[in-house]
Amino acid sequence: MPCARYLVNTMPTASWVGFKMLKKTRPLRILLAKLGMDTHTVGITVIAHALREAGMEVIFTGLKQTPDMVAAAAVQEDVDVVGISTLSAGHTRSLPKLARLLREAGAGDKLLLAGGVIPEEDRQLLEDAGVDRIFTMGSDTRDIVAYLQEWWLNKSEPTEV
Amino acid sequence: MTAIADNINDLSRQILAGNIGAGARAIRWLDDGDPRGADVLSLIFPHTGRAHLIGITGPPGAGKSSLTNTLITEQRRRGRRVGVIAIDPSSPFTGGAILGDRVRMAQHTVDPDVFIRSIGTRGQAGGLSRSSHDACLVLDAMNYDVIFVETVGVGQDEIDVVALAHTTLIIGVPGLGDEVQAVKAGLMEAGDIFVINKADRDGYDDTYRQFELMLHLRAESVSRNEIDKTASAWSPPLLRAVAKRAEGTVEIVDATDAHREYLQNSGHFVKRSSHREREQFICLLREAVVDEIMEGMDEDILNSILRREIDPYTAASHELARWRGNTTS
Ligand code: B12
Ligand SMILES: Nc1nc2c(ncn2[C@@H]2O[C@H](COP(=O)(O)OP(=O)(O)OP(=O)(O)O)[C@@H](O)[C@H]2O)c(=O)[nH]1
Ligand SMILES: [Mg+2]
Repeated sequence: MPCARYLVNTMPTASWVGFKMLKKTRPLRILLAKLGMDTHTVGITVIAHALREAGMEVIFTGLKQTPDMVAAAAVQEDVDVVGISTLSAGHTRSLPKLARLLREAGAGDKLLLAGGVIPEEDRQLLEDAGVDRIFTMGSDTRDIVAYLQEWWLNKSEPTEV
Repeated sequence: MTAIADNINDLSRQILAGNIGAGARAIRWLDDGDPRGADVLSLIFPHTGRAHLIGITGPPGAGKSSLTNTLITEQRRRGRRVGVIAIDPSSPFTGGAILGDRVRMAQHTVDPDVFIRSIGTRGQAGGLSRSSHDACLVLDAMNYDVIFVETVGVGQDEIDVVALAHTTLIIGVPGLGDEVQAVKAGLMEAGDIFVINKADRDGYDDTYRQFELMLHLRAESVSRNEIDKTASAWSPPLLRAVAKRAEGTVEIVDATDAHREYLQNSGHFVKRSSHREREQFICLLREAVVDEIMEGMDEDILNSILRREIDPYTAASHELARWRGNTTS
């Protein structure tokens, strides 16, 4: 019977130890995406690797996404954070739309981050529309990781695991 | 969309009604080992067992995600609701992961009848995560007709998906001489349907012949197998595909449909699922018992093993005896 292998480890204690560890380190899940025709990929790649190194699960949806696609994927993946990288303008329309779609999908509690080339004069508009935090050009990835870790630590959970 | 219920009963009802957010939340709990996941599972389990679970496995970069993307399109054309569990490796050092399978399936993101979920292996060997089977049950309860399970890129030994799925697709590619060798041992015995993807590439004919030969050898050894007569009733087809251009898709879905029909007619559809659930039951029992024994255990025994004063076998039988004494008194 080929099925006999399912989940039955030759070292039963190994999976037990793994399960205990897993309970303690419930990883943060973050969706990273780029909207529209913006093809600047360096920043989002750097961020993805930094977050992976920090023990987070990064769900990458790829380039050329629409706000509708990002909102739908965020719900299916049940991520804690949605991060958008934007370097080719258009963010004053696409980000408020995404924030609205997330709220409409019942996912307004997810943290919404944006990074890339975002002029200072757009900040207020974006924050008013529901973008929680903006990291522009030259941000230290360690600051981004620290910010997320602290947010994750303070996030109230309905029950402790 | 209605808000995700925070009480287990309502959430389970939402799942059975196909609410995407509710299903996604339950999968999260199961993946995280949150006890609420098991509570939800107990309520939805009676409503599962209907979906066709199709495993997609093969070496890294073989085109598993690209192929899944085209298979979703064809399944949708046949009017079916499709769920996908796409597994990528977690870093053994940090526990983090970059889960990128859904990039290739982006065209289906906003289709309300397609649900795609990325999952990290989180330390589990075998090509799947601990939660893969439970996640399939949630999608099954949400009334998806077909559920694809894409494994991580595998070598020859990571074939847990065979035990999870009703139908397993093994994906090979030309130009990886060693890869075929690796595929041979574990995967050739395991698959129900074989697909050579990237048939547009040089070396396709060679790869096809190699697979053909190995399937022939497999058929011979199966026909000699007196015990498992049922296994010989299905002879695995060998198909070609160019996932990038959606070539070969119709034939693959025809084959998975035929395999489902074969399983149903032979009674194996139910048998495969019940075997899977039996294995999970045993595994959970084993974990719970080990948990209990370890809880009451004297740390000294571990140190004694380290100092080589007592061997693991003797130590285990001592601990078992102690535990039995505790549970009977
Ligand atoms: C390299 C580059 C390119 C490369 C991109 C290659 C690639 N595969 O990525 C190429 C040559 C292809 C290119 C093309 C173009 N580019 Co260009 N490009 C740049 C350049 C020089 C550097 C970008 C970069 O990689 N930076 C390094 C990374 C690490 O930084 P980053 O992306 O900003 O990311 C950091 C933070 O912003 C933050 N972050 C980023 N994303 C996210 C996401 C989250 C969730 C978080 C938390 C943080 C975060 O963290 C990162 C680490 O600090 C910038 C100028 C500049 N100094 O920024 C122009 C720049 C972005 N490009 C620009 C333009 C105009 C173009 C073109 C339109 C040029 C043209 N006329 O053809 C095209 C259009 C491409 C397109 N369709 O999008 C303008 C954009 C102007 C604007 N937005 O108003 C810039 C600002 C140059 C300028 N001063 O005019 N470009
Ligand atoms: N030439 C050719 N390339 C293909 C074909 N199918 C997929 N590819 C390419 O192969 C690469 C890997 O494809 P994926 O679908 O991501 O492969 P995968 O098996 O899911 O990869 P992992 O999940 O990382 O193991 C991509 O660059 C695809 O574009 C094909 O039929 N022909
Ligand atoms: Mg893949």
